Amino acid sequence: MLRQPLTRALALSPSRVAPLAARKFAAQADKVEVFIDDKPVYVPPGTTVLQAAAEIGVEIPRFCYHERLAVAGNCRMCLVEVEKSPKPVAACAMPVMKGMRVKTNSDLTRKAREGVMEFLLVNHPLDCPICDQGGECDLQDQSMAFGSDKSRFTDIHFSGKRAVEDKDVGPLIKTIMTRCIHCTRCIRFASEVAGVDDFGTTGRGTDMQVGTYVEKMFLSELSGNIIDLCPVGALTSKPYSFAARPWETRRIDSVDVLDPLGSNIVVATRTNEVLRILPRTNEEINEEWLSDKSRFACDGLKRQRLVTPMIADSRGNLTPVEWEEAIVAAATALRDCPPDKLLVVGGDLADAESLVALKDLANRLGSEAVCTEHYFPLDGAGTDLRSSYLLNTKIANVEDADFVLLIGTNVRFEAPLLNARIRKAFIHKETDVALIGPKVDLTYEYTHVGDSASIVKDLATGTSSHEVLKRLENSKRPVVILGADQLKTSEGPALLAYTQELALSLQDKLENKEWKVLNVLQRTASQVAAMDLGYKPGVGEMLQKGPKVVFMLGADAGVITRENLPKDCVVIYQGHHGDAGASIADIVLAGAAYTEKNGTYVNAEGRAQQTLPAVTPPGKAREDWKIIRALSEVVGARLPYDNLEEVRARLAEVCPSMVSYGDVQNNNYFAQARALAQSLQKPVSGTLDVQLKQLEDFFMTDSISRASPTMAKCVQAVIKQKQSPY
Amino acid sequence: MSFFLKRTLGAGRNLSRAILNTNQYPGLQLVASKADQVQPQVETRPTVAKFDPLQKAHLVDFGKYVAECLPKFVQKVQITAGNELEVLVPTDGVIPVLQFLKDHHNAQFASLVDIGGMDVPSRPYRFEIIYNLLSLRYNARIRVKTYTDELTPIDSACEVFKAANWYEREIWDMYGVFFANHPDLRRILTDYGFEGHPFRKDFPLSGYVEVRYDDEQKRVVVEPLELAQEFRRFELSAPWEQFPNFRGNPVSEDVVDKTDDQPKKE
Amino acid sequence: MSARQAIQVGTKTVKPVLSVTQGEARLRVLSLYKAWYRQIPYIVKDFDIPKSEEQCRAKLKEMFLRNKDVTDIRVIDILVIKGQMELKESVNVWKQKGHIMAYFKPTEEPKPKDFLSKFFSGVE
Repeated sequence: MLRQPLTRALALSPSRVAPLAARKFAAQADKVEVFIDDKPVYVPPGTTVLQAAAEIGVEIPRFCYHERLAVAGNCRMCLVEVEKSPKPVAACAMPVMKGMRVKTNSDLTRKAREGVMEFLLVNHPLDCPICDQGGECDLQDQSMAFGSDKSRFTDIHFSGKRAVEDKDVGPLIKTIMTRCIHCTRCIRFASEVAGVDDFGTTGRGTDMQVGTYVEKMFLSELSGNIIDLCPVGALTSKPYSFAARPWETRRIDSVDVLDPLGSNIVVATRTNEVLRILPRTNEEINEEWLSDKSRFACDGLKRQRLVTPMIADSRGNLTPVEWEEAIVAAATALRDCPPDKLLVVGGDLADAESLVALKDLANRLGSEAVCTEHYFPLDGAGTDLRSSYLLNTKIANVEDADFVLLIGTNVRFEAPLLNARIRKAFIHKETDVALIGPKVDLTYEYTHVGDSASIVKDLATGTSSHEVLKRLENSKRPVVILGADQLKTSEGPALLAYTQELALSLQDKLENKEWKVLNVLQRTASQVAAMDLGYKPGVGEMLQKGPKVVFMLGADAGVITRENLPKDCVVIYQGHHGDAGASIADIVLAGAAYTEKNGTYVNAEGRAQQTLPAVTPPGKAREDWKIIRALSEVVGARLPYDNLEEVRARLAEVCPSMVSYGDVQNNNYFAQARALAQSLQKPVSGTLDVQLKQLEDFFMTDSISRASPTMAKCVQAVIKQKQSPY
Repeated sequence: MSFFLKRTLGAGRNLSRAILNTNQYPGLQLVASKADQVQPQVETRPTVAKFDPLQKAHLVDFGKYVAECLPKFVQKVQITAGNELEVLVPTDGVIPVLQFLKDHHNAQFASLVDIGGMDVPSRPYRFEIIYNLLSLRYNARIRVKTYTDELTPIDSACEVFKAANWYEREIWDMYGVFFANHPDLRRILTDYGFEGHPFRKDFPLSGYVEVRYDDEQKRVVVEPLELAQEFRRFELSAPWEQFPNFRGNPVSEDVVDKTDDQPKKE
Repeated sequence: MSARQAIQVGTKTVKPVLSVTQGEARLRVLSLYKAWYRQIPYIVKDFDIPKSEEQCRAKLKEMFLRNKDVTDIRVIDILVIKGQMELKESVNVWKQKGHIMAYFKPTEEPKPKDFLSKFFSGVE
């Protein structure tokens, strides 16, 4: 449950403030002076009373108002007294006027709040002891702070309270509609942010109900956010129901790794068990939303775990062993392997610490075959220039764009919160969106240009006759987002080269020299860090050579299978889930998942962030870089770091930006990358296709979400919903 | 105290007295006059403590009287939470002030209710030692506070109050503040051989050692304990202000403040 | 006035705990040591500990030498006071066998120091 004073939400992060502040400065003259509790405050015209009060730290109670949603003004909790106004006004909807004197703690205001609270509690059940919202309930807190101790509605003793039938909106959200106070936050979220217009109200007065009209699942990848938004216990989390109370959980700030955006999260734990994951506000990345996979896949952290090191016995069955034995076996395999026959693969969820340790170890053993599972063209600038594989525009800036061109990516499922940003721009700033690739539902309207790769070439060379080219050229802040999945094929280099050409020719014409057009959207949380550290993207080339030892660091994407390895090849798998990688392994080293270690992850923008250990690794599992460090000593190529600080110092040596947590560097050298890519502009003819097309594809994409029963239920529910007539 | 008590009770003119006081002691900051300026609202809510301006005026007067009588020792007199009088003294002023409060005819704080300690590591003198006194004669309470650090001894109050004996042992045990001239200073709560002082803020919540019965040794053994402190973030408060009345209002009001005129004793 | 203040700032005058000079503090330490030393035979007997007098004397010396670098007179005094209290607890047999044996820490196992053994034992 994410709750914070508006004051904090108003404090935007520095880079967002810069343009805003400039605008504010220009408009300094037309600021309005208002008085909140006799304290003067200067705000731009159009600010609401509630926001003006928040500026000086006065939080006006509210239920329906939410700073990221449209103003509804229907709960009436924010009524305040305004001098010379005959009756109290709703602070959330009332724009300030010059010289307005607002009293937020006067007798009239308090009486108004008490009255509203009394009305709300006429029908709200007093089942707090069995309500999951108890302890983090706005209604509970506000009735304590502003409510009365008794009610004058004695007739409910005879007639009973209003009862409303519960709705079934899928396996994630539990509804107890009797508790609903009709703030309509969920309805507004669904239609504004999620882009699913299924929610609404029926009836009036006492008969009013919030629901989906017909029984229907809430088909959105952002559905979990309405649990946070609900100020009462009407919408609660189904997997977390009756699990714990907020005051008994420990909350640890961390970072999500299930999509490439690195959303900020809070991990709530109790008795060494992750109970739920909540979003943490970061204006630069996820605002205060979180995708359903990141939020609900946490039960996958308890299942299919590798809890002990294992070695395959003579019959090929993995049997648990002690760490000594496993490390010695792995070390023997590594030592006996000729350097050019060693293949090291970094997986989707690997942290930068273990990636750098593993690369150092491989290099000490004389091997350069250090790869990631996902391919990226090495021709031209390759991974030498950071600008060619990052989201250069930055997530937050996407909402300022006026034209977004998506090439071969389904942003909605590859990076749901980036899609939410595009949708925000689409709704509030009339941004146009065009898509090259298969037709998918992005929750907003877009121009479908086609699914052929040659369209990109035509656009880049200026030979296209499509209207999109003209609109791109006329736009002031265009954004081009290329899905990294498209680069796997043999045409990848050319596609990247054309995209660079297109984006950079657009960028050169812009008045705003700071604006970046080119974006490449990676698919996994580890890819950017791996490429920053010098991992070679893609394993294809190395597999050709027929490796003798393959060391897989959480490589579960299924790129390496027993079929494409030589018979006598030894596979060492280090990771936290028994998934594709562990099933083909001869030696398994049990590692820690992202909630169990202090790890660095670099998101698609190139922003380094760290996870903090919320629970200890299960069983005998250890932190990943420590396993590699221990292994190195037994192999006889001791790595020179014994603690996390020293590993981070090594990280800083390789890539200084990786230890400046929370920051993102501006990328340059676009022109150089473009020049290097010039020679690669060969004709392309293929069609673009994306992996995640439908909502059911979204839920299970990595070893954690594949192990999660909740995610499996989601897939089932979505498929079932597809068959329903509604 | 009785002197003020009778006068003000008899005449009911505490307002005029307070103003008179202002003229008499221009250097002293007055609370009573401030309090009297506000029209006293009659508190009708049954669960809220009633404010008694008369009682407060008495406390203010008595606080000033103490400061006047012991100018060498009293550094500050303040009123906390509306009606609790506090006298702040340096370490060497404890005995004279307690003696005065116990034996003065107008005070007669003959009962030492308890002695408390407080640790604020950021202060130069990190410990605060608090003596709570009760005058049965005048139905009044007063608090004497002093400050010290790990090494500065405080004179034991045992010669003034017999009751101080165990309280001071407790302070010694829990905070490690040494009381000079204490008749029997030794541990009172902790186990023999216990190391450290548990109420200090730098003492870990889990302690340094764990104690268990060892079957081989056939006795209790003490072993070092290591529990890593986890990363955690407390989010206990709701965004809604529960007690707006306390926003920006100081807890204590000064009656006499001499800390500025007098160079602080180092 | 200013000179006095300057001196006050430079040198902090503190209230002594017991001793005023370094010599006095030294004397207190030595007498405490002697008192413990003389008590050792009785401690061994009274508490029936599985240690010889020599071992106890070595332990006594070790524990005093642990603080050999303490120079602040007040810190020395506080340590002496605590030592005296401990001695009193032993003399009066307020302590029990376990308390005396706690000085010797017989059940503590040495902690792994190097990375590998720490890794294998799972102790961080």
